[in-house]
Amino acid sequence: MPRSKVQLFITCLAEQFFPGTLENMVALLERLGVEPVFPPGQTCCGQPLYNSVFKKQTRGLALKWLKTFSRSEYPIVSPSGSCVDMVRHHYAELFPPDSPERRLADETGSRTFEFTEYLVKQLGVRDVGARFPRKVTYHASCHYLRGLGLRGEAKELLGAVDGLELRPLPEEETCCGFGGVFSVVYPEVSRAMMENKVQHILSTGAAVVTACDAGCLMNMGGGLKRAGSSVKAMHIIDILAAKE
Amino acid sequence: MSVPPKTISFGKYTKHIPPGIPSAVQKATAKFWTSREARVAELPQWEDLRRAASDIRLHTLRHLDAYLERFTDRFAGAGGRIHWAGDAEAARAAVLGLAAEKNVKTAVKVKSMATEEIGLNRALQSAGVEVWETDLGEFIAQLAGVGPSHIIVPAVHMTKEEIAGLFREKLGVDAPADPTELAAIARKILREKFLAADMGISGANFLVAETGALVTVTNEGNGRMCTTLPNLHVAVVAIDKIVPDWESLAVLLKLLARSATGQKLSAYTSFITGPGRSPDEGGPGEMHLVLLDDGRSRILADPGAIETLKCIRCGCCLNVCPVYKNVGGFAYGWFISGPTGAMFTPQILGAKTGRELPFASTLCGACNDVCPVKIPVSDILLYLRGRVVEGDAVEGPAAPPLIRAGARIGALALGTSWIYRSGAALMRSLLSPFGRDGWLNTLPPPVDRWTRVRPFPLFKSRFRKWWAGRDAAGPAGHAPFENKTRDGGKS
Amino acid sequence: MKPDQVKNSVLNSVRLSLGRRPGDPVAERPPAPPFRKAGNPESEIALFLKEVAALSGSAKRVNEETLESSLEDLVQSEGVKKAVLGRTDDLAGLNLEEKLKALGVEITPQGAGKHALARCDLGITGADFALPETGTLGLLASPDCPRAVSLLPRVHLAVVRPSSFRPDLDRVFLEAMDRRYLVFITGPSRTADIELTVTLGVHGPKSLHVWVV
Repeated sequence: MPRSKVQLFITCLAEQFFPGTLENMVALLERLGVEPVFPPGQTCCGQPLYNSVFKKQTRGLALKWLKTFSRSEYPIVSPSGSCVDMVRHHYAELFPPDSPERRLADETGSRTFEFTEYLVKQLGVRDVGARFPRKVTYHASCHYLRGLGLRGEAKELLGAVDGLELRPLPEEETCCGFGGVFSVVYPEVSRAMMENKVQHILSTGAAVVTACDAGCLMNMGGGLKRAGSSVKAMHIIDILAAKE
Repeated sequence: MSVPPKTISFGKYTKHIPPGIPSAVQKATAKFWTSREARVAELPQWEDLRRAASDIRLHTLRHLDAYLERFTDRFAGAGGRIHWAGDAEAARAAVLGLAAEKNVKTAVKVKSMATEEIGLNRALQSAGVEVWETDLGEFIAQLAGVGPSHIIVPAVHMTKEEIAGLFREKLGVDAPADPTELAAIARKILREKFLAADMGISGANFLVAETGALVTVTNEGNGRMCTTLPNLHVAVVAIDKIVPDWESLAVLLKLLARSATGQKLSAYTSFITGPGRSPDEGGPGEMHLVLLDDGRSRILADPGAIETLKCIRCGCCLNVCPVYKNVGGFAYGWFISGPTGAMFTPQILGAKTGRELPFASTLCGACNDVCPVKIPVSDILLYLRGRVVEGDAVEGPAAPPLIRAGARIGALALGTSWIYRSGAALMRSLLSPFGRDGWLNTLPPPVDRWTRVRPFPLFKSRFRKWWAGRDAAGPAGHAPFENKTRDGGKS
Repeated sequence: MKPDQVKNSVLNSVRLSLGRRPGDPVAERPPAPPFRKAGNPESEIALFLKEVAALSGSAKRVNEETLESSLEDLVQSEGVKKAVLGRTDDLAGLNLEEKLKALGVEITPQGAGKHALARCDLGITGADFALPETGTLGLLASPDCPRAVSLLPRVHLAVVRPSSFRPDLDRVFLEAMDRRYLVFITGPSRTADIELTVTLGVHGPKSLHVWVV
């Protein structure tokens, strides 16, 4: 039986700060019988620039991304909900209707998936055979939740992990205060939001907080560190890959 | 507060937020939100109502000229007088003109966004008219000389002790720090004002084109007092408040109070079509309506922003906004705050004045999900960021310099593969020596804006190397990436 | 500018923005979702009373026999010395004025003006409409029942007849469309403006009594 293939869209944040997660993503895909390929020309999808509406620059990055990933017709899988939201929903807006670029954006965007979405909705997988005997709480990242409309997928996968105890996070769906450029434009407000999130995480008694977006994990992980907490912020992929 | 600010510095204000404000604001937002959730849960057709309300609001805006004419014909037919006002100054002049003509000494006022927008109180006071805000929260804010910190509960940032102190100082009464007693004091004082006032001033939540009715929604009853007792009633209402007919109104009323305070309906909803018919029936002998444009007609032309005007000012977006909940209303610099204020203010006062506001959001989208008229708030904020960055037909770019510089550097670094890769490698080797447990505790300006708040993770870009090594080792069944497999065929 | 010029300038800028000309047609308004249908009369009354009570109003059923004792209780518990009554059809035949006088309550004529009405402890009205889902009273204004009867006295008693019940807002609006003044009253006057503490009777009536007769 021919193995299905996917293109890895590793995202700039995960490449720089979560290389272990990317390695785990590769391992998990292979465990599920999917062969990952890696288009090396990829850099950043352009979301930070899009959110500051530097349209010209965003368009440049979008074209580069589309060129890199449209060479193959395999589905594209990424460990970041917000980057997928950018590609799937916002690339098209950058180009005039009926332009070849617009068609390319529509076509490529429609086969770009967030990792847990790909597992649950494309592969129909709920149990990846992981074991992670710890208390875990889950933060719903904004663009994963509202951009992609993914509310249950991550929790379904976590629910099937052997030994994992899922502790509900108060205000699970409230933004952690990252917001990309927002975090450096208004650091004091970002801090207040992050501190609220950290308090909620600590109130669950969980040892690990997980999410499906590198940005939120950087923010919450840093916040927990600064608060002197031993709670770890882990990407959901790292939990699903665990075999302890 | 009532005078439009020249610049709004969200950043400067939020550096030092008085510590009591977020906690007070969060108590209010949590209370309203919890009630709102309960009301929505018991109404199975909630989403249908939202969709219909959204469609009706947009339809109204797209035919606003016709509905305005219909409304003004009916209103005038019922004996009301219309004063058109292109801008805030014209609106103030209309009210001041009436006050002078009717020899008004005292006016009582019900909380209204439009009168805040035009800075009416200050103008009336300068003209020698005594003006009393009669909504309890507004009354307190007026005594304290501040604007509203929340759209529904304007003085929520003040404790009962502070309010008691204010009453003692400004009203010269013995006031205990007890909400019920304080409300009773306000009732007594304001009751006399209601009975004695020469003019009642209100806004309106809606204007019904079909019949010319003005609709006001209040909880305290002050709205009824102001529109019933003085012989002269003047309403200042923006042109976007029009609804086509009663059926549309019914849809919007079902959404408004539930979204705002989590009530099914507010305590009092008045439907007023012109002045009182006879002295026996009660009601003012004269009713005037100042119809305010103040930049709204300009927004109608802008497909990226027209939905701003669908807003029914329920304040629900404030109650879910994590930014608002941590900064309170004053941070937004004008009478209207939260996501809806961040959207409205830069369009009315201009991108230069309001340039920071579209950025005062993480674009988390919580507001979009709850807005009873389905305004895509975060999309509009993003669109307005574009106006700040690139300028538009009216104004040039007004982006904060930090953002412009960052964007240029970012675009170059992220868009050029070799800079991206070597930059990352450079960062990794440059920063690694300073790391501890994988984190950097401090970074130099301007990126210390990140590390002031939380540590920054070390650059660890090793995936490409790992992948290459894995390729070289040739794991079973794995083939290197091929870039000419459009048909999916494999060599 | 003259008033007409201002009108035209506002309307013109609206039209310019929308690309419309005077007299351009208006598309059909998007539809409203279906409105609520009435339940059986008994359950409608029960729901209405429950909702009024949930809003801190006092709500009950009263019949011809219990009317007098209910009135006596109300006068005593609320300390009523002066009252004003509407002269509407739904109140006629209940002999409220005689009953109040017998209880020693002084009656102020409904047309006595705002200052006199403000001195009343109790205002009694009928209700032109009752909405069960929200516990709402709908009152039209007329010389027989001026606007302020339900507003200025400290206590408001509304006597509701079963014939006033309407399932939803649309029906009320249909009937009240050409009336000049309608007010919906949903519970007593309330505020939560000081530390979110709910306080009743900040400006309007402090207590609301609703009797379905």
